[in-house]
Amino acid sequence: MSREAYAPPTLQPQGSNYSTTGTDLQAGPTTQYLCGHCNSKVQLKKGDAIRCKECGHRVLYKERTKRMVQFEAR
Amino acid sequence: MAPEPISPEDARRRKIVGVNAETVTNVTSTDFPGHHPGEDHTWSLEKFTQNFSVQYHKNHPHDAVFSLIGLDASIANAFRRILIAEIPTLAIEQVFVHNNTSIVHDEVLAARLGLVPLTGKLEGLNWLKFRKKIINDDTGDAREDEKRDDGATDTNTVVLKLQIECKWAEGIREGETDPEKLYVNSNVYARHMVFEPQGNQHKQFPEPDGIVRPVNPDILLAKLRPGQVVDLEMFAIKGIGADHAKFSPVATATYRLLPTIDIMSPILGNDAGIFARCFTKGVIGLEDITEEESGMVGGSWREGRGRRRRL
Amino acid sequence: MPTAIADEDYPMHNAPEAEANTGISGEDGFIDLNDQRIRVLPGASETAASFEFESEDHTLGNALRYMIMKNPEVELCGYSIPHPSEAKMNIRIQTYEGTTVYDALEKGFDDLMGLCDVVTEKFTATRDEFNSKQKA
Repeated sequence: MSREAYAPPTLQPQGSNYSTTGTDLQAGPTTQYLCGHCNSKVQLKKGDAIRCKECGHRVLYKERTKRMVQFEAR
Repeated sequence: MAPEPISPEDARRRKIVGVNAETVTNVTSTDFPGHHPGEDHTWSLEKFTQNFSVQYHKNHPHDAVFSLIGLDASIANAFRRILIAEIPTLAIEQVFVHNNTSIVHDEVLAARLGLVPLTGKLEGLNWLKFRKKIINDDTGDAREDEKRDDGATDTNTVVLKLQIECKWAEGIREGETDPEKLYVNSNVYARHMVFEPQGNQHKQFPEPDGIVRPVNPDILLAKLRPGQVVDLEMFAIKGIGADHAKFSPVATATYRLLPTIDIMSPILGNDAGIFARCFTKGVIGLEDITEEESGMVGGSWREGRGRRRRL
Repeated sequence: MPTAIADEDYPMHNAPEAEANTGISGEDGFIDLNDQRIRVLPGASETAASFEFESEDHTLGNALRYMIMKNPEVELCGYSIPHPSEAKMNIRIQTYEGTTVYDALEKGFDDLMGLCDVVTEKFTATRDEFNSKQKA
C-alpha cells in the first residue's frame, strides 16, 4: 500500500465498530470510562475534554474487559 | 563364635552421633547383620514390636510433636518426606478470572489462591479422585498426552467462587481515615471463597462442617478500594507435594535425634540453679538433698539425661 | 571399545524392555497403579542385580535399603539417584549364595510393610490415648 493510498480515519460515524456503549448518530460513538478519583462512569465522545463530569478529575480509566481469562495457580 | 553381650557403654556409644567443632562422628547406623562380629541384627518384627514405642508430647490441630523410639533414622526420614511430599491434599489449580480490578494482578492473585490450604470432610477428600494432568494448550491442537486428561467432573474437581466488590461504607464519621471503617470489603480474605458443590459433592461435603473451605479463613488475598471488583471461579484438584508445594499438607515436618546431657559429677548448691538456667526450662531438674547426702559420692543428685526440649 | 563385553553385562531375559515403560509414569507427575515401575538393569545375575525404580526417591530408597541390609543373606545393598532431573532411583542388591536378589527385594518390601503396620498401630493407639487424656 502506497503512502498516498492511505486514508486517515474520518470523523464520519462508522457504526459501533469499536468498543462503544452507545451511538449518537450525530456525534459519533461514545466510550465508557471510569473516573480515577470518584469512580463514577463517564461517557466521552471524540473531542470531548478528558474530564470527569462529577468531580472534574482529569484521570480516566478504560473499563476492564468482561472476557474470562484463565490462569494456572502455580 | 559365641556372641558376646554388648556392654552398656558400647550400646550407648553406638546410639550417639557426635557433633564436634569441625567434624561429626558415628553418623551411620551399624545395626546390620555382619557389621559387629558375633552380633545378630537380623530384622525381626517381634523384636521391633517389643522395642518400638511412641510418645506424644503435643497434639494441637496445627502442631504435633511426638517421639518414635526405637526407629532408625532412615525410616523416620521416610515418614517425614512422605508427610511433606506424598500425602495428597486439595489445592486450587485453575483460576478463571471474570473480573479483577484490584491492584493485585490476575496471575499474582491466581498464584496466591493456589497456595491457600483447603480442607473439607475427610471422607469426601478420600472419595475425590485424582484428576490427570490438566492440559492448558491455547493452540487447541489435540496433543498426544491430552488422552490422559479425564476432564473436570464432580469426582475430581471442586469448584469455588470468589465474588466480592468494595463499596463506600454508610454513615461514616467526619474525618474518618480507617479504611476498615470507610469501606465495605476493603480486604479480601480466604473466607470469602465460596464452595460450589457439583453433582454428588453436597453429599460428600455436607453443610456446615464438611464443606470445602480454607483451613485458615483469615488469609488476606487482596486489598480493594471502592468500585474495585474481584469475580473469579476456581477449580481445585487433588495433588501431592512432590508436584507442587501447595499440595503439601504440612507447613513443615522435621525429625531430629535428641541431645544428651551427661552430668559427670554432682552439681550442688547455687551452681545447680545456674546450671539449670543454661538450658531451656524443664530440661534440668533440681532435687533437695540434706547436708549429709551432699557429702556422699553419687548421692541423690538428679541426672538430667536428654530431656527433650520442646519447640 | 570392545565389541563384546564380559559375561556379566548381558541383559536379564526377564527384564522388561527399556522402551516398554519409558514415559509411562513420572513424566507428567501422575502415577498409575498398573504402571510397570521397576526394571532390572542389564548385567544382573541371580545374586547381584540393580533395580531401577521410576518416580521414586530417597523416601523409598533409603528406607528400603535399610530394610534389605537387615537381611543376613544380603551381602550388599545400596541405592542411588543417578541424576536429579530424572525421577529414577536405583537399588543395588548383592546376596550370598543360596538366595536370589528377587527374594531379597521382596523380603525388603514385606519387612518394610510390616514395620509400617506396627508403627501405624502403635502411633494411632498412643495418639488416641494422648487425646483422650488431654480432654479429661
